[in-house]
Amino acid sequence: MSEPRLRRVAVTGLGAVSSVGIGVKAFTEAIREGRSGVSPIASFDSTGFRHTQAGEVHDFRPQDHLERLPAEKWGRSAQFAASAARLAVRDADWDPEALSSARAGSAMGTTNGEAVAFQELTEQWLAQGIGEIDGALAARASADRIAAAVNTELRLHGEAQTFGTACSASNYAIGYGFDLIRSGAADVMIAGGADAVNRATHAGFHRLGAIAPDLCRPFDEDRGGIMTAEGGAALVLESWDSALSRGARIYAEVLGYGITCDAKHPTQPDRDGIAECIRLAHQDAGVKPEEVDYVCAHGTGTAANDSTEIAAVRAVFGDRIPPVSSIKSMLGHTMGAASGFGALACCMALWEGFLPPTATVRSVDPALGPDLDCVPGRARPAHPRIVENHGFAFGGNNAIVMLGRPE
Amino acid sequence: MSSGTAPTVVRITGYGVLSAAGAGGKALYESVRSGALPSGDGGAEALAGYPAPPGVRLLPVPDFAPREYLGRKGLGALSRTSTLGMAAAELALDSLPALVGPEERARTGVVMGTSTGSARAFAEFFRESYEAERPYLVSPALFPGLLLNHCASQVAMRHSYTGLNASLAGGAISALSALRFARSALLTGRADRLLTGGVEELNAQTAWAWQRSGALGEQAALGEGSAVFVLEAGGGAPAGTPLAELTACEVAFTPLDEGPHAVAASLARCVEDALRASGAAPEDVCVVSAGASGGAGWSAVEARGRGRGLAGHTPELLRVQDVLGETYSAGGGLQLAALLAHWAGGAAPTTGAWGLVTSVGHDGSVGAAVLRRPSAIG
Repeated sequence: MSEPRLRRVAVTGLGAVSSVGIGVKAFTEAIREGRSGVSPIASFDSTGFRHTQAGEVHDFRPQDHLERLPAEKWGRSAQFAASAARLAVRDADWDPEALSSARAGSAMGTTNGEAVAFQELTEQWLAQGIGEIDGALAARASADRIAAAVNTELRLHGEAQTFGTACSASNYAIGYGFDLIRSGAADVMIAGGADAVNRATHAGFHRLGAIAPDLCRPFDEDRGGIMTAEGGAALVLESWDSALSRGARIYAEVLGYGITCDAKHPTQPDRDGIAECIRLAHQDAGVKPEEVDYVCAHGTGTAANDSTEIAAVRAVFGDRIPPVSSIKSMLGHTMGAASGFGALACCMALWEGFLPPTATVRSVDPALGPDLDCVPGRARPAHPRIVENHGFAFGGNNAIVMLGRPE
Repeated sequence: MSSGTAPTVVRITGYGVLSAAGAGGKALYESVRSGALPSGDGGAEALAGYPAPPGVRLLPVPDFAPREYLGRKGLGALSRTSTLGMAAAELALDSLPALVGPEERARTGVVMGTSTGSARAFAEFFRESYEAERPYLVSPALFPGLLLNHCASQVAMRHSYTGLNASLAGGAISALSALRFARSALLTGRADRLLTGGVEELNAQTAWAWQRSGALGEQAALGEGSAVFVLEAGGGAPAGTPLAELTACEVAFTPLDEGPHAVAASLARCVEDALRASGAAPEDVCVVSAGASGGAGWSAVEARGRGRGLAGHTPELLRVQDVLGETYSAGGGLQLAALLAHWAGGAAPTTGAWGLVTSVGHDGSVGAAVLRRPSAIG
């Protein structure tokens, strides 16, 4: 049995376009302080909805960040993705020309693709008839445009893969990038995800009774549900050797990942599927449960998610469960970008030395069991060495990425 | 893994396909060979009462009845995208010599290429929100059906496949993106068996989007369908006779502002890299299953890139898209199905060992898959 030598994978750049800040510095400051990005919905007419708050990125001007992508020809999700990618590459201090000629590509995740384009097309259809929809807008509606935008903005010539595995899609993208670099199929991968607030997603969760009235309060006994949100998250993944030869800052090492499918219910999470996903991620990363210092939870703020996720964590970790927090308490649920933002928070936690908070939790739900540390309020100084980033989705698509402090 | 060693090859052990040619590889092969399709309803059922866009020939899967493949239960909340993909998956599983046993389900998964999910389901969900008495009074059962992962997750649920499950959006190369991802996952030991393919649904929303964008060009034809392949990781000799070995699948994206020549060059590199990884030379390729294969524009880009990648060799060409129309996310899958059917039904066993599938999107995406035929696998 001749195993090819597997390469280590470094995270060297981080890019965030989020409701709590644009750029990893602003994002991290907000996360550490427990700031909320939730505000009244402005991107569509929310008249008639009972819950009208969301985590929108109000001050997003793509032209402030993009160097090559003509924003007006791309959908909002693609703009988020390309902007986050550009910010991540600048943060990684990659020379644009060198990156363009490197063996580099992108892998981006999404839940609803270019939902805003679909929203506008539907409005045109209803107002003017199906024969009058805008062809240029229709050409923007395909979800693959999200990774295509990243390659176009950065002039990358490798693959551009868009994962449509809903709310765990960023973790799929990171995992895929990890495999490509580890095996030597690529040297650099921009990985992350993007989604945009839209009427259909808000209406769907609203109908399920899953939207919180004011704030998203994961793990709280008076939780109200999720908060729909948006943004773009991107990580620069590269081979360890590449990072060292560039003298790059290494935020974290990608240690491995796991993927499972519940194969049980279209919307309800499953404890066993998630527990198995955690085990696979640990096994892939060569990590034992007692070595994990922090779990960045999927933590959507619904009762079903909270109880299932914590039960799965207990099933794997036993009596000692590490601190578990949800950054959705600040960002809301950014859908396909969610586990990308989770990965960003994990990398900064490893790099700066803190645990991200569950900012909005007031009284931890006793039904979740004893000794659940969800890091309430603000970030806590700590020195995590190995962290675990959760992403789950409708359709039972579970994906978990393990990250470690660079050593 | 049963063998305990790292897998080294990825084999195709079964497949199912639905297209304008009907169900199954034999019908597909006959249509691709003859250029003739069974007479359908011209897309009337798929249009669901909406007008047809002018100047576009619609090529639906003829007489597609999901219940024939999936039974009657629980079809109400499923889009045509999901039922097409699920039906192709059923055909693929039916083609296997043995059932997937319960103990194999945790290492069995599904990987589907789809760029929008069901555009009709998505648009109609929006419409419901605009037209309902309250904007949130939408149908909860239809909500998961908006998602790109709905088809793949439904296949998994139907068979309790708890292994790796993924959905990839790659435009015209979606199915090749799925094949590449699945091949990588099998070789890194993340699954033992992956039902992998692509799906595209014909409906009024999509047809009008194509027509209004002008992207179909002259003599526009828009098709639909799904192809699903059973990919299995292997180490030593295969247990049965596989249909083919997927020896390489390369995809790339070139920013469109670099021009069509750069896109063609990118496809040429994919073909070269895939052949090199397969240990095959351009002259070993005896058949190409093409996306676009004739005419100007993007067809010419694909032909140019393929020609360069094959160093001027001109193997037999299966003109799949010319016959089935633009099938977008399903395209590469239907091409691969046509290639397998060609080997199974038509080509003499002595006509060579290697096949190539190429695909080019209108957006700068390119892909190339290399297949080795069974007589050469031994």
